[in-house]
Amino acid sequence: MRAEETLSKALGYSAIVFTVLIIGIPVFWLITGALKTNREIFSPNPQWLPSQVMFDNFTKAWEGAPFGRYYINSFITTILGAACEITMGITTAYALVFVRFPKRDWVFVLLLVALMVPEEVVIVPNYLTIANWHLVNTYAGIVLPGASIAFGTFLLRQYFRSLPPELIDAARVDGAGHMRTMLSIIVPIAAPAVATAGLLSVVAKWNDYLWPLIVTSTADMRTLPIGISWLLDQEGNTEWGVVMAATLFVVVPVVLVFLYAQRFLVSGIAAGAVKG
Amino acid sequence: MQNTARHPANSIRRLIKRDWREWLVFLAFAGPNVALFAIFTYTPLINNLLLSFSDWNMISADKNFVGLQNYVDIINDSQMGKVLLNTVLFTSSSVLLVLLLGLGGGLLLNQKLRGRNAARSILFTPNILSGAAIAIVWIYIFDPRFGLIYTVLKPLGIDSPKWLTDPNWALPAIVIVYVWKYLGYATVIYIAGLQAIPGDLYEAARVDGASAWMRFRHVTLPGLSPVMFFLILTSILSSFQSFDIINVMTKGGPVNATNTLIYRLYELGFINFAIGRAGVIGMVLFVMMFAVTLLQLRYLDRQVSYA
Amino acid sequence: MNKKVTRRDLLKGIGFGVGAIALAACAPAATTAPTAVQPTNAPAAAQPTTAPAAATGTTTVTYWGFSGALGKTEDDLVAKYHAKQTAVKIDRQVQGSYEETAQKLTAALAAKTAPDMVLLSDVWWFKFYRAKALLPMNDLAATAKIDSADFVESLWKEGVRQGNQYWIPFARSTPLFYYNADMFKAAGLPDRGPKTWTEFSEWAPKLVKMDGSTMKVAAFAGLAAASYSAWVFQCVNWAFGGSYSSPDLKITLLDPGTIDASQFYTDLVNKKQLASTPKDVQKDFTTGLTATALLSTGGLTGILKDAQFNVGTAFVPEEKAVGVCTGGSGLTILTGTAADKATAAANYIAYATGNEGGEFWSQNSGYMPVRKSTVSSATYQKFFADHPQAKTAVDQLPRTRPQDAARVFIPGGDQILGKGLDRIVVGKEDIKAVWTDIAAQLEKEAEPVRKDLATLGG
Repeated sequence: MRAEETLSKALGYSAIVFTVLIIGIPVFWLITGALKTNREIFSPNPQWLPSQVMFDNFTKAWEGAPFGRYYINSFITTILGAACEITMGITTAYALVFVRFPKRDWVFVLLLVALMVPEEVVIVPNYLTIANWHLVNTYAGIVLPGASIAFGTFLLRQYFRSLPPELIDAARVDGAGHMRTMLSIIVPIAAPAVATAGLLSVVAKWNDYLWPLIVTSTADMRTLPIGISWLLDQEGNTEWGVVMAATLFVVVPVVLVFLYAQRFLVSGIAAGAVKG
Repeated sequence: MQNTARHPANSIRRLIKRDWREWLVFLAFAGPNVALFAIFTYTPLINNLLLSFSDWNMISADKNFVGLQNYVDIINDSQMGKVLLNTVLFTSSSVLLVLLLGLGGGLLLNQKLRGRNAARSILFTPNILSGAAIAIVWIYIFDPRFGLIYTVLKPLGIDSPKWLTDPNWALPAIVIVYVWKYLGYATVIYIAGLQAIPGDLYEAARVDGASAWMRFRHVTLPGLSPVMFFLILTSILSSFQSFDIINVMTKGGPVNATNTLIYRLYELGFINFAIGRAGVIGMVLFVMMFAVTLLQLRYLDRQVSYA
Repeated sequence: MNKKVTRRDLLKGIGFGVGAIALAACAPAATTAPTAVQPTNAPAAAQPTTAPAAATGTTTVTYWGFSGALGKTEDDLVAKYHAKQTAVKIDRQVQGSYEETAQKLTAALAAKTAPDMVLLSDVWWFKFYRAKALLPMNDLAATAKIDSADFVESLWKEGVRQGNQYWIPFARSTPLFYYNADMFKAAGLPDRGPKTWTEFSEWAPKLVKMDGSTMKVAAFAGLAAASYSAWVFQCVNWAFGGSYSSPDLKITLLDPGTIDASQFYTDLVNKKQLASTPKDVQKDFTTGLTATALLSTGGLTGILKDAQFNVGTAFVPEEKAVGVCTGGSGLTILTGTAADKATAAANYIAYATGNEGGEFWSQNSGYMPVRKSTVSSATYQKFFADHPQAKTAVDQLPRTRPQDAARVFIPGGDQILGKGLDRIVVGKEDIKAVWTDIAAQLEKEAEPVRKDLATLGG
C-alpha cells in the first residue's frame, strides 16, 4: 500500500510540473512577447527574455485604438449581459424543475436545441432583426441577442434537480409561492452553481468578438476583442508585440476575476454536473 | 348536507385553478428566456432551413426557390468528404483526449499535494483566453524553424514537423491547441466529481481486498459517470462549433486538411456568399448535433433513474 | 462564510438584472446621438445632417475605410482634407479587414444601415457592382474635377463597366520582387532582380542553404497559406503565357501556359528544392529565412522596418511575356446615397486621389500614386531619391495588366484558385487533374455572375 501511495504521489507531482510547463510556457511567451520588438519576437534564435524590456508596446497598444473606451464598453456589455443571463437562467431552471406544467421535458429539449445552433448561422438574421428595431450600434443591440442562455440554464437545472424535494415541499406547505421559494430557499443553496454559471457567462461575454463586431459601427461602441484584431494590418505590417500587449489588456481582468472566484468554481461545476 | 370541499366539481375547479397558476408562473419565469431564444436562435434556425432551399446571395432582392438543388450540390461537392472526415476526426480525437487526459489529471491532482491549487489555476487559464490570443502564441510555438517545439526537438536530433503548413500535421496541431484550451476545464470538473464520491465506498472496497484497479473500476468510474456524460455532451457540442482556432491558425488549410463543417459553413456563407449551400451545411451540423444529444440524453436519463 | 458572500453577490446580480433592463432602455438614447449619421442610406428624401457640423452647410459623409496602421494614415489624410475645406466632413469608420468590411456591408445593405462611401478591395467590389449597389461615377467625377485621363490607365480602366466608372483607384499595389541584397552579394549575384524566371532558376541554387536535409534558407518563398497566393501566382502564370480566364469568364486553367507556370512553381518547391512554403512569407523574408519573395508593395514600409539587411526591390520577372498584376482597393459610392452626399463624397475622392492627397497617402502608406502627374512633382522626385525602393513599384506600373476575371469577378474565386495551388504545390497532386476540378468549381460559381452580367449588359 505504501509503495502504491508513493508511486501515485510521485506521478502527482510530475503531473503538476508537467502542467505548469505545458500550460505555463505559452502564456509566459505571450507575456514576454509583449515586451519585445517584431525583430526579437521572430528571431530565428529564440529569445526567452527580451534583451531590452520595452513598455513601448503597451503605450502603443493603448494609443493604437481607444482602449479606454473599449474597456468601458466591454465592462458594460459584459455586466449587463451576464446579469440578464443569470437572472433568466435561474428563473428558467427553476421553472423547469419546480413548476408543474405539461410537456415540461419538451421545453428542456428545446433548451438544448439552442446549444446546437452555431453563432455563424444566427449572426446575420439577428443583425437584420436588431436593425429593424433601430438598435444597431447601441448597448441594447449588443446585449439583447446574447441575453438568453442555454448552457447556464442547463447547468442550473441539473443542480436544482439534485436538491432534496423535501425542501420544496416544506416551503409549499408553509404557503410560500414560487417566487419566495426560489429566492429565499433555492437560490441561496444553489449559490455555488449560480456563481459558476455567472462566471462562465462573464468569460464568454468578455471575449465575444463576432457579434459585437457586426452590430457596432463606430469605434466608441466597440469592445476589447475587436480592438485587438484591428491592430492586425491589411498588408502584413502588423507589430506583433503591440498585439500581444493589447491581448494582455483583455486577458488580465478575466484572470483576476477567475482567481478570485476560483473556490466557487470548483464546487459549483462539480455540483451541477455530478448531481445529474 | 354534502361536504362542498369534496364535491367533484370543486376538486376539479381547484385542480384547474392550481394548474392555471402554475402555467402563469412558468410563463413569467421561463417565458422571457424562451421568447429570446425564439427570436434570436430558433427563428434564424428555421430561416436557415428555408434558405437552404433558395439560391440567395445576400444582396439581391430575389430569393429563388430551387428545391433540393443545394443539397445535391453539397453531396456532389468534392470537398465534402474531406470536410466530414475532418469533423469526425477532430471532434472524436479532441473530446477523447480531453476526457482521458482530464481524468488522469483529475485523479493525480485530487491528492493532497503541495502546489496543487496553483496547478489547477494554471490548468484552467487557457480556457479563459480567447481563441485569437491562443492562436497567436501557438503559431509561433509551431514554427518548424524556430518555434518552441523546434527548440525542444533540436537537441534530440528530431526534425520538427511542419505542423501548420503540412497537410498531415495541421489537424493534429489544431487538436493539440484545442486540448490545451479545454484540459483544465475537464480536470476541474473531474476533481469535483471525485470529491463527491463517498470515502467509505473506497474503504469498504479496500476491506474487501480490492486492488487499486478494481477500486477504480467499481467505485470511481461509476461514481464519475454523471460527470462524464455532462462533459461529453458539452464537449462534443462545443467541438462541433469550434471555429475561432481554425480561422486564425489555418483557415481550413493546407489543402483542406483542417476544413471542418463549421469552417465550410463560414466559407460558403461569408466568402462565397452562397447562402443556400451554407444553409445546407448548417442543417447537416444541426442534425448531427441533435442526434448525438438525443443518444446521450437517453443514456443520461437511464443513469439518473438508477441513482 | 462562503454563503454570505455569494448571497450578496446574488442579490447584486439580480439587482443588476433589473437595472440592466432599465439601463438598456436608457442607453440607446445616450448613444444614438453620434450614430445619427448612420442610416443615411434610407430614404433619399432630404436628411439634413443633424450631427457634428461646425459650420452650417457642411455635408457629412460616412465612409468605411482601412483598419490597423493604414487606418491611422487614412485618419491623417482625412484630417488634411478637413484642414483644407469645411464644406465636407468625412466620418471615417472602421469595420475591419477588406473581407470583414465586405461582409459587414452586405449585411448593412440588407438592413439599410449602409454608409455613403466604402473602400472595397479588388476581389470584393465587383460583387456589389453586380448587385447594383454601386453608383456610376462619371458625372460625379466630372463635377468634382477628377481628371480620368491623368490616372494610370490600367488602374482606372479596371473599375469601368459599360463606359461608366464604379471603382476609383485609391490604395493600389502590385507585387514586387523583393530580394535580400546582402545574400545576393554574398552569393556573387548582381545587385538587381532576375530578368526572367529562367535566370532566377540559375541563381537560386547559389542562394539556398541546407542544414543536412532541412532547408535553412530558401531561395524563394511562396504560398502563404491561402492569402494572396492566387494573386501573386497570377504574375507567374502570365509570364509563362497562361491565365486563369479570359475577360468574359472563359476559364483557361488548362491552357498550356497555365500548365507550364504551375509546373515551374511546383518544381521550385518539390523537384528542384529551391523554394519553401511557409505560413507567413513576409515574416520569412524579413527574418532572413528566404532570399527572395513576391510580395505586395503595400508591405514595403513594414519590411524595411523589420529587416536587418539591405532590401532590394525589382520588377517581377518575365518569361515568355511580362506578367504583373495590380491589386489593392478603390473607393466606391453606394447607390442609396443622397445626391448631396454623393457629390461631397466625390469631392473627397478627388482630394484623396489627387496630387496633394495622393502624394501624402502613397508616401506614408506604401501604396502607389494613382496619377501620372503626382509622380512627376518635385517633392515626389525627392522622395524617390531618398527611398529608391518605392520607385520600383511606380516604374513597374506601365507593365501591369488588369487581373483575370476568374479571380476578381467570381465570388470566392481567389480562394478557390488558392486552394488549387495548395493542392498542386503542397499536396503534390497532378496539375491537370487539379485544374480540371477547380475549373469545374469556378464554372459553377460563375453561373450567377454570367446571368447578372447579361442583365446588366456587361
